[in-house]
Parts: sequence; C-alpha cells; structure tokens
Amino acid sequence: MVLVPHLLALGLYGLATALALAPFAGLRPAPRALTLGAPLSGATAHVVGVAQLTPVGVAPVLSILALFLMLLQVMSERVFRASAVALFTGPLATGLVGLALLIGLGPGAEPSGGGNAWFILHVTLSVLGLALLALAFITAALYLLQFRELKSKRFGQVFRLFPPLERLDRLNHVALVAGFPTLTLGVLLALGYAVRYAGGMHVDPAQIVWGSFTWAVLGSAVWMRVVRHWAGRRAAFASIAGFVAVVLVYLALKLAEPGTQRFL
Amino acid sequence: MSIAVVGVNHRTAPLEVRERFAHAPREVPASLERVLSAGAGGGVLLSTCNRTEFYLAEPSDSTAETVWAILGERLGAGRSASEYGYFQRDREAVRHLYRVSAGLDSMILGESQIQGQVREAWEASRPQAGPVLHRLFQSALLVGARVRTETALGTGAASAPSAAVALAGKIFSRLAGRSALVLGAGDMAELAAGCLVSEGVRVTIVANRSYERARAIAEQLGARALTLDEVWEHFANADIVLSSTAAPHAVVTWERVAPAIGRRGGRPLCILDLAVPRDVEPAVGQLENVFLYDIDDLQAVAAHAAAERHQEVPAAERIVRDEVERFWAWYGGLAVVPVLKEFRGRLDDVRAAELERALKRLAHLSPEDRAQVEQFSHALLNKFLHHPTIALKQAAQAGRGYGLLESLKKLFGLERPDGS
Repeated sequence: MVLVPHLLALGLYGLATALALAPFAGLRPAPRALTLGAPLSGATAHVVGVAQLTPVGVAPVLSILALFLMLLQVMSERVFRASAVALFTGPLATGLVGLALLIGLGPGAEPSGGGNAWFILHVTLSVLGLALLALAFITAALYLLQFRELKSKRFGQVFRLFPPLERLDRLNHVALVAGFPTLTLGVLLALGYAVRYAGGMHVDPAQIVWGSFTWAVLGSAVWMRVVRHWAGRRAAFASIAGFVAVVLVYLALKLAEPGTQRFL
Repeated sequence: MSIAVVGVNHRTAPLEVRERFAHAPREVPASLERVLSAGAGGGVLLSTCNRTEFYLAEPSDSTAETVWAILGERLGAGRSASEYGYFQRDREAVRHLYRVSAGLDSMILGESQIQGQVREAWEASRPQAGPVLHRLFQSALLVGARVRTETALGTGAASAPSAAVALAGKIFSRLAGRSALVLGAGDMAELAAGCLVSEGVRVTIVANRSYERARAIAEQLGARALTLDEVWEHFANADIVLSSTAAPHAVVTWERVAPAIGRRGGRPLCILDLAVPRDVEPAVGQLENVFLYDIDDLQAVAAHAAAERHQEVPAAERIVRDEVERFWAWYGGLAVVPVLKEFRGRLDDVRAAELERALKRLAHLSPEDRAQVEQFSHALLNKFLHHPTIALKQAAQAGRGYGLLESLKKLFGLERPDGS
C-alpha cells in the first residue's frame, strides 16, 4: 500500500511539471484550477503513502522532502502567485519520488529507543527546514534569471512568465526566515530524542557534521537578510551558495559511507 | 426589421476628422434624437477617440443620410462626412459591434478599454436604444468578455505606455503606492505619468527646465515642482523615474545621479526614458539595481505583445462568428411571429372575401352545405400555410429566418406603406 500512492503521486507530479513547463514551450497556460489541482491531488496521495513509512533511510526522507517541496510549490502559487517556482519544484519532486521508488520504499527499521513520535517529528521538521532552504535556493535562482532578463532587456519567456523581482525576493526572505526556526526545532528534537530514548545509541559523526553545517548555513543566511538587511542579488547569491554547499557536503559524506539504510 | 451601423473609425478617418466627429456625453442625446426622428426604432452612439458610430435598429432609407448630415455639420465648410465612413447592415453590423467590443477593431489589437466605452455608450443611450439594441449591446459585452477569457488577445502590454507599466510591474510586486519622479513637462511625460497614476503610483515630484511649466503639471498630479538642477538628490527616494524632456542631450548623467542612487540601500530603481534624443546616459543603467529602459525598449515590449496577440485573432474571430449566428437566430425568431401573424391574416382576408363571393353565387346551398364549404376554405388555407409556417420557424431557429422573412414580405406585399 506504500507503492500505489507513491506511483499516483509520481504521475500527478509529472503532470504538474508538464503544466508548469507548457507556457515555456509556447503552449497556452493551463487554468489555475489545474495548475493547483494536479500538485494538490498528488500531495494528497503522497501523504497517504508517507503516513505508512518509517522515516529511516534515504528513500523515505527523499519522499518526505518531495512532499514538502510540492506543498511549498502550491503555497508559492496560491499566496505569492509565483507559479514559476514549479519549474524547479515540479521536476525536483518528481525526480525525488522516482528515486525513492527506485531505491525501494519497503518498511524501514524502527528507530532505537522506541521514541517514535519524537523521531518522526524530528525528521519531519528537519526535512521541512531543508525544503524551505531549497525553496530559498529556487526563488534566488528565479530572481537572478529575471534580473538578467530585465538588465539585458531581452523581454522573452522569462520576462513574461516569471514573477516580479520584488516578489521573488520576498518569497526568498520568507523561506529563509521560516526555515531557520523549523530546522532549529528539528535539531533540538534530535538532541532531546538522543538524550531521552537513545541513550548509548551510536550517532554517526556524519549526521552531527551535516546537521550542524546545514543549521549554520541557514542561520547565516537569515542573519544576512534580517540583521545585515541583505536583499536582491546579493541575498540571492548567498542563498544559492548556501544550498549548494549543503548538498555538496551531504554528497561528500554519503560517498564516504555509501548505503541507503540510513540517511547519513 | 434590420440593424445598421453608420460611422467612422481610425481606419477610415484621420485624427483631425475623428476629433471633430467625437461627441461629448452631453451631446449624445440630441444627436440620437435627430437620427431617430429621421426614422429608426432605436439608436446607440459610440464615440471614442478612435471611432464615432451610430448603431440603429430598424433604420429607414434616409437615416444614414441624417447621420452623415450631423457629422458633416461638425466638419464644416460644406465637407462631406460620408467619404470618411462606412455603412453596414444586419449581420455585418452585428459582427462589427462584436469585433469592436472584443478589441479586434481597435488601433491597439485586443485593448480592453473599448469594452468599458461600449458599456458607457450603451448606458448613455439606454432611453433611446430600444429592445433590439439593448439585447445587441448586452451580447456585445458578453462577446468581449468571452474573447478575453477564452483567448490571449488581451494579454501583454501592446502599447508604449502600457509597456512602461508592464516593465515597472516586473520589478515591483505592486505599483500602487510607489513614488514616481517625472522629468520634463511635455505631453508625452504627462501621458505616461497618467498611465502610472492609473495604476496607483504617486507622482511626488515634477521637474522641468522651466519651473512654471513644471508647477502647472505638478498641480494637476498633486506633486511638488522643482527645476532640473534641484532634482538629482531625489533619485535616492523615488521608485520610478519617468523622463521626457525636450533637451538635445542627456540630462540624467552618471555623475549627477550615482551619489543619490548609492544611498538607496540596494532598492531597485526603474528609469523610463521616453525622450528622443534620450535623456538618460546609458552608463546610468549599469548602476547596481537600476533598470533603465528607453523608447526602443518600450516599443520592443509592445511589439512582442502585439505579435502574440495577432496569433489569437483566428480564435477570437471564431467566437465572434458563433455569437453573430446566435444573435441572428434570436433576432430572426423575434421577427417571425409578427410577420407570420400578418401573413396569415392577409391570406385569411383573401379567403373570407373569396368565400363570400362564392357563396353569393351558390345561394341555393343549404346552411349545412354552406358550412361545409366554409370549413373547406379554412382547411385549404391551413394546408397551404402549414409547410411555409414550419419552414419559416425552423429557419428562424437555425438563424436563417431573416432572409426568408424579407422574401415573404416582398412576395406577399406585407410591408406597410411607412416602410416598417
């Protein structure tokens, strides 16, 4: 019963991606009900699938990340009318669900200590924080593309279909400011879980390194935006650099100790 | 019954002629009254800067002449107005109004302002419109809305002022509440500033070489007037700069504005240079977070949008064609009932007269036989009328009733002496 909802979600995310890409291929934009309906329906099926997973291992985490990305896509379109976000979130979520299915979404190992609720909350909040960091990266990339279009006076598809610069900058700000406390709470829950339930449990240094690094990156980005009042292009470059560093560090740590049973 | 349009538009008449034909709202009732008294069941006058058109229901042969006379008086010097205009009847007139309302007949293809103007014309002429034009204008507004919803004819900025608004709208989330600084006090600056104001932008400063001229425009826009020498430091606060001076060289130079722009804290600044020759030095556009566009850029945006709109024309024309047929089906059905009634009445008169004459010659018949003969005459008439009645009703339902009705009226002499 894990596979069917995931396959359904994969199909609907694929459809949502095709709808997002259609205007760039010169086709008429789909009605808003459809561009919102397809990812929402996919996310609904996805929730059913994710609810049956134990969030241990690479595949379940990728699946949860894809779900959050799709929900953030819907939020971006609904609240900020930034439908271009789907250009990134659509293929990314589709790819992540596909990859999770390829790796295998069988029943995972129970986390030690029996503190399931703490553990699930820790994973959920941490992955949501990561998804918000990814959204900050996406809006930053869209910002830079639109900036280049406006400066170079090209007035092509990007000019017409991307949201205004200021709206992308605002969405980047919101993603970072919401992402930092979310990830902080996720990290604190991990500490609480380790102390309360998993005493004597072996925690891989890679988990500590990557978790701390991601938290520090997100914290720095928020500090630059909120305290140093960075905005626009400078903030966009910082968001992109931060996200790329987080992904590269993860890949480096994963290469050092391959395997899909554990996220790290 | 018929519908007609008599008028001129931007394709048939130059601006200096259209200006003379344009009617202020207060002039509309008097002109319409004159046209209606010349013989028409209803009228609506649509007068914009690009067209002056009289839409008429059931016009007589002399009505168009009256329209040309009214417009000719505005030209003066015995000039003829009809050489600048057109006269279309029936389906073509309906199609014309639908195309106008959809923006297909506009100078800027697909512009939406015309729909409001059609509505205003209809509302202003409502007492004189009559039921047919009432229905026609109501449907024209629906056609306009349908075209804008189902096609992309109205998307994109297809004129230079709207391109200016579109460009600013790609930098700022909302234009409402933004502050604009206007350099120059000519007509172009005034026109473009008006476009921004209509989007909710506040013009805070108008600067010009001549302070007096700047003050005149500033008063209209609720802004502050400055001379050009005083304005450079205000580049630190404005969101949009609109420049359209008559200077023969660049007045906005890197040296003059770079210090003020440096104090903006990274906030974007949109500079729209509408002047020819250009007012703003290209180097200003290289400053961080400064977006500089000249008249060529605005025209490029407008041309791009116009080209995309042109691709939507066939789809929009299809909608217009469908809706014309739908209206015509309604209109044909409307005309069928009274004509059929008159047709039947006329033939029944003939039947009654011939029956009376025959019965005089057949005086020997018993009352029962006379009744039989009368019944026979009724049955014969009904048999004759059955097929034409059904055919006419079916043709009306299919939107082809009007032509048949006209033929019927001519063949059986159903038109009254007054031509109605």
